[in-house]
Amino acid sequence: MNKIAIILLAAAAGVAWGQDGHQIMLEVQKRQHTNSMRYEGTLYSCTSPKGCPANSKALVTKRWVYERIGDFGKSKGILRFTGPAEVKGVALLIVNHPDAASDQWLWRPAVGREQKVAVQDRSTRFFGTDFTFEDLEERDADQYTYTIDGEMNGQWKIDAKPKKASGYTHCYFYIDKTNYTFQRIECYNKKGLARTIDYTDFEMIQGIWTARSVGVIDTIRKTRTAMHYDKVDYNLPLKDEAFTVEALRIAE
Amino acid sequence: MISLKGVSKQFDGARKVTALDRIDLEICRGELVAIVGPSGSGKSTLLNLIGGLDRATSGEVVLDGSALSQLSDDELTRIRRDKIGFIFQFFNLLPTLSCLENVSLPLHLRGWPRKKTAERARELLELVKLDARMDHLPDELSGGERQRVAIARALSVYPPVLLADEPTGNLDSVTGLEILDLIHDLHQRLGSTVLVVTHDAGVAESCARTIHIRDGRVFEDVTK
Amino acid sequence: MMLLRLISWPYARKHGFRWLLTIAGIVLGVAVFVGMHTANQSVLAAFQQTIDRIAGKAQLQVTAGEPGFDEGVLDKVRSLPEVSAAAPVIEATVSAGGTNLLILGVDMLGDRSLRTYDLENSEDGIDDPLVFLAQPDSLMVSKTLADRKGLTIGSRLPLDTMAGQEVFIVRGIMQPGGLAGAFGGDLAVMDIYAAEKMFGRGKRFDRVDLALKEGVSLDEGEEKLKASLGPGFQVEPPSSRGQQFEATSRVYAIASDITSLFALFIGMFIIYNTFAIAVTQRRAEIGILRALGATRAQIRTLFLAESALTGLAGTALGIVAGLALARAMAGYIGSLLQDVYGVAQGAGEITLDPKLALAAGAMGVLTSLVAAVIPARNAARVDPVKALQKGQYQSLSEGENRARRRWAIACVCASLVALGFGRIGVVLYAGFLLAVLAAVLLSPAVTLWLARAIRPVLAKVRPVEGTLAADSLIQAPRRTSGTVAALMLSLALVVSLGGLARASYDAIAEWMHVSLNLDLLVTPVENLTNRTFVLPESLGAGLRAIPGVADVQMVRGVRIQVNGSPVMLLAADHGALMRFSHQPLVAGHPARMLEQTLAGAGAIASENFVTLHGAKLGDSVEIPSPSGMLHMRIAGVVRDFTDQQGTLFISRDAYVRAWNDTGITSFGIFLKPGFSAPGVRQAILNAFSAKSRIFVMTNAEVRGYIDRLTNQWFGLTYVQIAVAVLVAILGIVNALTVSITDRRRELGVLQAVGGLRWQIRHTIWMEAAAIGVIGLALGLGLGAVQLYYSVQVTQRDIIGIDLGYAYPFGIAFGLLPVILGAAWLAALGPGEQAVRGSLVEALEYE
Repeated sequence: MNKIAIILLAAAAGVAWGQDGHQIMLEVQKRQHTNSMRYEGTLYSCTSPKGCPANSKALVTKRWVYERIGDFGKSKGILRFTGPAEVKGVALLIVNHPDAASDQWLWRPAVGREQKVAVQDRSTRFFGTDFTFEDLEERDADQYTYTIDGEMNGQWKIDAKPKKASGYTHCYFYIDKTNYTFQRIECYNKKGLARTIDYTDFEMIQGIWTARSVGVIDTIRKTRTAMHYDKVDYNLPLKDEAFTVEALRIAE
Repeated sequence: MISLKGVSKQFDGARKVTALDRIDLEICRGELVAIVGPSGSGKSTLLNLIGGLDRATSGEVVLDGSALSQLSDDELTRIRRDKIGFIFQFFNLLPTLSCLENVSLPLHLRGWPRKKTAERARELLELVKLDARMDHLPDELSGGERQRVAIARALSVYPPVLLADEPTGNLDSVTGLEILDLIHDLHQRLGSTVLVVTHDAGVAESCARTIHIRDGRVFEDVTK
Repeated sequence: MMLLRLISWPYARKHGFRWLLTIAGIVLGVAVFVGMHTANQSVLAAFQQTIDRIAGKAQLQVTAGEPGFDEGVLDKVRSLPEVSAAAPVIEATVSAGGTNLLILGVDMLGDRSLRTYDLENSEDGIDDPLVFLAQPDSLMVSKTLADRKGLTIGSRLPLDTMAGQEVFIVRGIMQPGGLAGAFGGDLAVMDIYAAEKMFGRGKRFDRVDLALKEGVSLDEGEEKLKASLGPGFQVEPPSSRGQQFEATSRVYAIASDITSLFALFIGMFIIYNTFAIAVTQRRAEIGILRALGATRAQIRTLFLAESALTGLAGTALGIVAGLALARAMAGYIGSLLQDVYGVAQGAGEITLDPKLALAAGAMGVLTSLVAAVIPARNAARVDPVKALQKGQYQSLSEGENRARRRWAIACVCASLVALGFGRIGVVLYAGFLLAVLAAVLLSPAVTLWLARAIRPVLAKVRPVEGTLAADSLIQAPRRTSGTVAALMLSLALVVSLGGLARASYDAIAEWMHVSLNLDLLVTPVENLTNRTFVLPESLGAGLRAIPGVADVQMVRGVRIQVNGSPVMLLAADHGALMRFSHQPLVAGHPARMLEQTLAGAGAIASENFVTLHGAKLGDSVEIPSPSGMLHMRIAGVVRDFTDQQGTLFISRDAYVRAWNDTGITSFGIFLKPGFSAPGVRQAILNAFSAKSRIFVMTNAEVRGYIDRLTNQWFGLTYVQIAVAVLVAILGIVNALTVSITDRRRELGVLQAVGGLRWQIRHTIWMEAAAIGVIGLALGLGLGAVQLYYSVQVTQRDIIGIDLGYAYPFGIAFGLLPVILGAAWLAALGPGEQAVRGSLVEALEYE
């Protein structure tokens, strides 16, 4: 379980009693559980460090669809861009493994070939957005060690250290105590704070607390990416065959 | 034969030097004239102008009817080679050529055929009594002998005018007399017009007419 | 050195023009030396810089020769635990509106772990990586290029691709410095998969750049990678590419060093000449100095200091000229680089290496000093008493001549002994040097002898002028011998280089007759050396179907590394191999070599491959390929001019097996009788040019192209020859100028006793002609010797091909009118000078 996965999963609410970090995270995971899901959304990246007012040239807007099936840690997902025309059809298939780095394939219709994204490249930015390929990987709650670092404003601040190789040294998860949703994530690498993710506009959809807006800030480059989920569906009849490299090519 | 009218010669340098100043002179065919004067008086310049080696700044030199100032360089050269023989103080023989070749030089330059040239050169060397030394190089001869070769060369085509610039200046007195005798002898035998530039009183004495040049002007013109 | 200012300067000023002539030789020698080496260094530095900048943080590079390797190799490299990051690269140059552009195809996903693109902080450098990746026409260009071509984000830039010209869109601009500074800034980056398509490479990469994990040493990583990939791959740090180039360019340096040595030698004689003359002319002055108390050492030092200054002046001018020359040559070397290493380097910054300048200065000054040693010694020996008396100049003493002759004979003997030891490098070069030295030492004596011999001849032609001209030479050996020696050396250079060129042209013509007897040649590029683009094998069948085509032969040319040096590998199908096996045979049997090569067990080697690699018929050659080391027996050796680095011909089947590459670089087409080449060419173009990038050359065009290449190769040589001869001619002017000064009185007498102006001119002209004829006789003689050595050196160290010894009689005969004409031209000025000026002064001159 990690950033974009969480971004995409949003967060579900719940009740809490005396728990340790791991138990809290398991509860978070449980409340967000679905068999399958489909999001449609808009992504706004601001590529200028000086900030991006509306209509700025530096403000890049893209439409996308994300579909996912399977349990945490071994799920599969496809992120497909639907607009604007020049990026339409570019897709990323993510096959998560519980005990290893995920496999990722990129499909580019204009080039006409898929391409495996190497593990070494995972810490690079995902197409000019402010998250990395690693941020797209889904990691099970068991793949971190947790320490509760404090409580404030009705949130737990949990220090999460990845067990697997990662571009981050550790992250702070801010979890709402009432509904067990992610409110904020701060991730650190060797140089310090690298990324912050904020979740807002919560809405209960099909029994799951879902944040409709997510903001990502690259604190080093001082650029920001905002995502808005226009359409959210859970537990759809999606098929496993739709999440293969072959399907990546065919499904246009 | 030779006529100078108002001839001046100036040398351009840092300071203008007037070597000859409006000279008028008339020399008839067959005369033997000595030109005397102190050094720097312009006597050599006078000779060079008459011989066409140099051009007058103003005035006219007329040689055997030709006005020299009107002539091109090559025409001047033709006058020199057909009408004038030069005898220099330092002989000016070409060191790499034998006596015969030195004497042949002007004849070759005229384009004479080889055989005719050789005959004439021998004849001339006999004339100056050097027939025994024909194939010697100038370096192997005494000063008097060298001057005799030079005289032979000057006589190559029996020119009507013979110009001698200090012909005895570089010779001891005995040899000088010999050369003087030779010049007199040739003058009488060939009937040429002879001009001798000299500062040797003896040489001047032996000539029928003596022209004294001083400061670029004719100071005295004496005919005995 | 007060003396220099008081005594030397006025003399130098008075004879300014002559001094200029004097240093011409040094100028030439230094210019060629500095030019060639500076060009080499500049290109190398630029090349190295490009490599460094492109390499980024990459510590090692995996290559497998020009054809590259399958994409799968990348995964293999990445799977090694020692590797922290690996990124594939395709590197190629294309022309874009007149400039050469280096295209770097990289994996945009992961490349940033090795290279920094510096896009972020730029005002207009906003890139949308998703769009960049999604669109294969995306291009990232350097700021330099953008400024030069007026490109901004969204600009369209047409580039040549396999499918003809296509328009690319600028989607990123890289800030100057770093990567963007590579290739002089003419750099564009694109997605590697788009690049594969653009250049018709299939699923192949040129190279994998990689960085090692922390704590893994370079040697360790290199070893692990080599072990994992097999012997067919090269794993080297980026810098080693520059080292390889250095080794290649050294060959060109050898050729030019010999020329500059000759130029300096020629210059030395002209300087010697000038100083010898100066000493005789200034005898009176030296006498006065001596009388006033100057010591012999002071006089000697005066002249040596003058010569050192002369050398310095020549060096300075030479360096300036050399830098200009370097600019011109850098382009040539750059294109060589592109051919051999696939990375072209445009004209880089031409900067003078201080060490090189120092070496050039030392060379120039030393040459000048050596040239002045004898005149300076003679000056020191001037007897003050005799010097102050008027008289003839002293001539060269007989003893000195004899000593020289003895030395000359010793040199001749030594060089003959050296001949016995044949091909050993040092001995060969020493023998060469000794032979030249002998000729130089003998030249005064021979000059005198020849002058005496032609005196009667000249006398017959023109009794007065001829005799005087010959005597002038005989009387002043100092004035003449240096000039004659310089002329001899430069003419020998003409003969040897001319002979070499003639032999090369003949050999190439013979080779082309066999090797290039095809009717049409189909290639993906407009020239034969660029291998940026590759055609698909399938085109062969299409070409066969064109009416009029009788046969299609397929060849894949690739540059590979054999024993660490670049070699051209020609993988040829049956028909093409048959054609190649009929090239002029050096060793082996045509039928057998064809059989063995077709069977995939052997390779046909070019003569220069065998020479440069020290191999012989029957030896086994190890050819690295992605599927392992190929062991090929040299089945035959042929004389082939395809490549200066050596060529190996193997069967295409063996190549495809080992490289898994079916690309073709040229289709040779033979026509059925009755079909015209232009007609079939048009048919081919009509059929394929819309789909694919192809060029069709007729036989005549191919030959013309090769002729042009050959001309280019010799072009520089011709320029050097021309300048060398020019310097020698200037030497004649020099000698004549002095001659008329020396003989002023003599010429005056000649005019006084009736010599017309043309007659005076004639004697000067005849003297020039005599110098020319004597120099010609000596030069043509020495040329015969030098040609022998040139052929040897060429075979041994430059192209590895025995061109054979054939004296270029045509050139020799051609030189006669040229040199006589040049001598006449050289005499025009002095001739005019001789008839000008005052006769009166001339007669009194002493």
